[in-house]
Amino acid sequence: MEYHRLSFPLVGNPSPDLAKKDAGQAGMTPGQHGTRSMNERLPSRKIFGLLFLLFTFYFSLFTVSYAAEPPKRIISLAPNMTEILFALGLGDRIVGVTSFCDYPEEAKKKPKVGGMSNPSLEAVVTLKPDIVVMTTDGNPKEFEARLRSMGIRTYVFTSRRLSELPRGVRELGAALGVKAKADEFADHFEASLGKFRIKHARAARNARKVLFIVWPEPLIVAGPGTVIDDALRIIGVENIASGAKAEYPKYSIEEVIRKSPDIIFIGKGKGMESASEGLFKMLRKVPAVREKMVFYVSDDLYRLGPRTLRGIEEISALTDGKP
Amino acid sequence: MKINFFLIVLIFFAVLAISLFLGPTPINPLALDGTTREILINIRAPRIAVAVLMGMALGASGAVLQGILRNPLADPYILGISSGASLAAAIGIIGGVTIFGTFSIPVFAFAGAVLTGGIVGVMGWKRGGLWPERLLLAGVGLSFLFSALLMLIMSVSRDEGIRRAMLWIFGDLSMSDWERVPYGVLFVFGGVAISLWRAKALNALILGDEFAHSLGFAPQTERVLLFISVGLMTAASVSLGGMIGFIGLLIPHIARFFIGSDNRLLVPASALGGGALLCAADLIARSALPPMELPAGIITAIIGSPYFLYLLRRKNVLSV
Amino acid sequence: MSSASKPMILELIDACFSYGKNGHVVDNLAFSVGEGEFIGLLGANGSGKSTILKLGSGILKPSAGKIMLWGKQLQSYRNKDRAKLISYLPQTLDISVPFTIRELVGMGLYPYDIPPAITPDEALDMVGLTDKADAHITDLSGGEKRRTFIAMTLLQGAGLLLLDEPLANLDIKYQIELVRLLRTLRGQRNISVVMALHDINIGLQFDKVMLIKNGGILGFGRPEDVLTESSITDAFDIEVKILRQTDGKAYVSYQENYRKWQGMQK
Repeated sequence: MEYHRLSFPLVGNPSPDLAKKDAGQAGMTPGQHGTRSMNERLPSRKIFGLLFLLFTFYFSLFTVSYAAEPPKRIISLAPNMTEILFALGLGDRIVGVTSFCDYPEEAKKKPKVGGMSNPSLEAVVTLKPDIVVMTTDGNPKEFEARLRSMGIRTYVFTSRRLSELPRGVRELGAALGVKAKADEFADHFEASLGKFRIKHARAARNARKVLFIVWPEPLIVAGPGTVIDDALRIIGVENIASGAKAEYPKYSIEEVIRKSPDIIFIGKGKGMESASEGLFKMLRKVPAVREKMVFYVSDDLYRLGPRTLRGIEEISALTDGKP
Repeated sequence: MKINFFLIVLIFFAVLAISLFLGPTPINPLALDGTTREILINIRAPRIAVAVLMGMALGASGAVLQGILRNPLADPYILGISSGASLAAAIGIIGGVTIFGTFSIPVFAFAGAVLTGGIVGVMGWKRGGLWPERLLLAGVGLSFLFSALLMLIMSVSRDEGIRRAMLWIFGDLSMSDWERVPYGVLFVFGGVAISLWRAKALNALILGDEFAHSLGFAPQTERVLLFISVGLMTAASVSLGGMIGFIGLLIPHIARFFIGSDNRLLVPASALGGGALLCAADLIARSALPPMELPAGIITAIIGSPYFLYLLRRKNVLSV
Repeated sequence: MSSASKPMILELIDACFSYGKNGHVVDNLAFSVGEGEFIGLLGANGSGKSTILKLGSGILKPSAGKIMLWGKQLQSYRNKDRAKLISYLPQTLDISVPFTIRELVGMGLYPYDIPPAITPDEALDMVGLTDKADAHITDLSGGEKRRTFIAMTLLQGAGLLLLDEPLANLDIKYQIELVRLLRTLRGQRNISVVMALHDINIGLQFDKVMLIKNGGILGFGRPEDVLTESSITDAFDIEVKILRQTDGKAYVSYQENYRKWQGMQK
């Protein structure tokens, strides 16, 4: 299991619109992560015009350089990015990962550059990367700015939702010179999501109530805006925490009892069963607990990447054919 | 003074009643169904009991500690008891200790707190007695050491469970159940009882050891007794629900505005005030953004601090 | 006032004390305090005045010798019983907690399970602080603070007051007031007072003074016998002149000494 993916994001959580805009820019023109706010601060038309010119110039410059020379030395600063990069066949080119990157097995053997929120600048620079792949979901913005100021190319992956992943991977693939492979990945992902949607379309009409517990004590659950929430929606069940105001809220036990979920998923992990003992004792009257519909599931859903589909498959199978 | 004390008692019970029936969703005690009964009896009531016990322990031990250390800035966490508890809890989690079942972490925290209190006591002991300055410095020193060790464990640990489990130590009441209440009652009421029994001696100790001696008390014996009561109450509160700031430091000062400095009233008033404040703060914490919960410690400081600052401007608080 | 015929309240019999290895030492101290006596302790800083008072109050235990209270070993008294007989006031009264005057004075009742006849308000009246009863100690002047604690000792009912420099940091007016108050109380309640002093001239007004040097007694008795020019020079390491007013009262002049010291500098 991985910590940062679950924590409240260290960088701002962009609204879907901003995220789209960001994705559009970051995909094509790495290193413009900070310019959005500059635009907002200087709303003068002249400056806009000037910037537009500069953008276009910048844009064409990098497009050319990508096409000519795909990066050979890649550093990944997020576990899900590491998984995606491996899935796109770029494993050999990865020269550095975070200490949280534990999948696939080869990732563990790659040189470590520190954590997600606190990677070591020195370690990154020493590895002489052609590009550093980061996310808006756990990597500090300042770190990206720092790398750019040192002339190191960065790629910021902004997809954070299930539906955003295919486009995000396509753009990433284009930037890293593995367009065909990325498209293939994205096509497969979209098709699989579609299958799940069709399969569970009927279930959605009479949705069962589900709670996905990320940590039992204190009770932290998967709330709105998370991959888990998306996954629950796709398999046609209702996430009782989707009305909360945070992605991973500390959730009221009272409310769990009141909303009486039919199924509870809880992340598998060392000591998880003993850690959750107290919680389930308090929730003993909840249908899911009473009917033994509490399932310990793998961490596949915690990371937005190639394993996400497997995670959906897992919870889909557990809800399938059950009353 | 007596009337003010009576008012504090009234407010205390009013807050208790309100927080029992209000919440993310109000509960009408006259129309209970299965779900609301379960929530009221097994979720809310123990939670309120734990909040009250913690608040009482913090308020009372703050008042006592400010007296025995003769320092208005002393709070129960200054003695390093809380960082010792956190460290012990972390060690318990890493060691995967489950011998006490769901009690494992609280038991470790309590043991860590008591052990730390003991070490501080030994460090503060010289020439046949406990000396306030030594206690204070020993507490601060140990506090730094234990916090650093805890940070070390947390930064080298890749086990996300540890980080998560440490969340509760920063103040969490949501896991309160009836099982913890009897132990809490035992230690908190025990501590409050010792402090009340020795309240006259505490008053005298505030004037200084020589005064206390002259008034017929054995200052060192009294200090040891009161130190033990503070240790018990703080350890109990940390193991009940982690660390909640503000109450231990400022509730005694707020109580002093209303009922004066005599510890025979101040200690119970601080206990009741602390219990009421934490209970009210927790009510807000669980009701403000339902179904999400906020940390109660944040709310105590947010509602308590402005009030304290207002009183500070209006009345003479630390007499400076 | 002769003390021989009166019963002894406090007796120090060859009492010795030292703080650690290099601290101040009190050596083979022997003296007694009789009922109604008013004794001033004089001596240079570090001569042992405070130590003697702390020994007498039981705060410090003698390393050798005996201290008797009403003919019984001081250490054999229960704390509360001793508190009913002896009151000790330390020199510094740095109380940071805003107790009210009434609360503080009321602490004098702590040794008692059944309160004695006197009430806090009566005690406050005796020291002239009735109108300050609800004020906070932290808002009071130095003189008022001293009187507050004198009122506390009245409530405590102790027959013997051991006061460590109660006149320190007081304006001369308050010094005189306080001494007068203590004399009045002695008249009313027959209390005995032993107080450390720093002003030799105040000592000259006492019935009895004790001159101390290096933890030993240089002289003990009537001030005119004890406080001679040579003994003061011995105790304080200064030159003084004892002059007499027209009414015969003695006073010490430090002026000469000051000039001489200046001369030595030149």
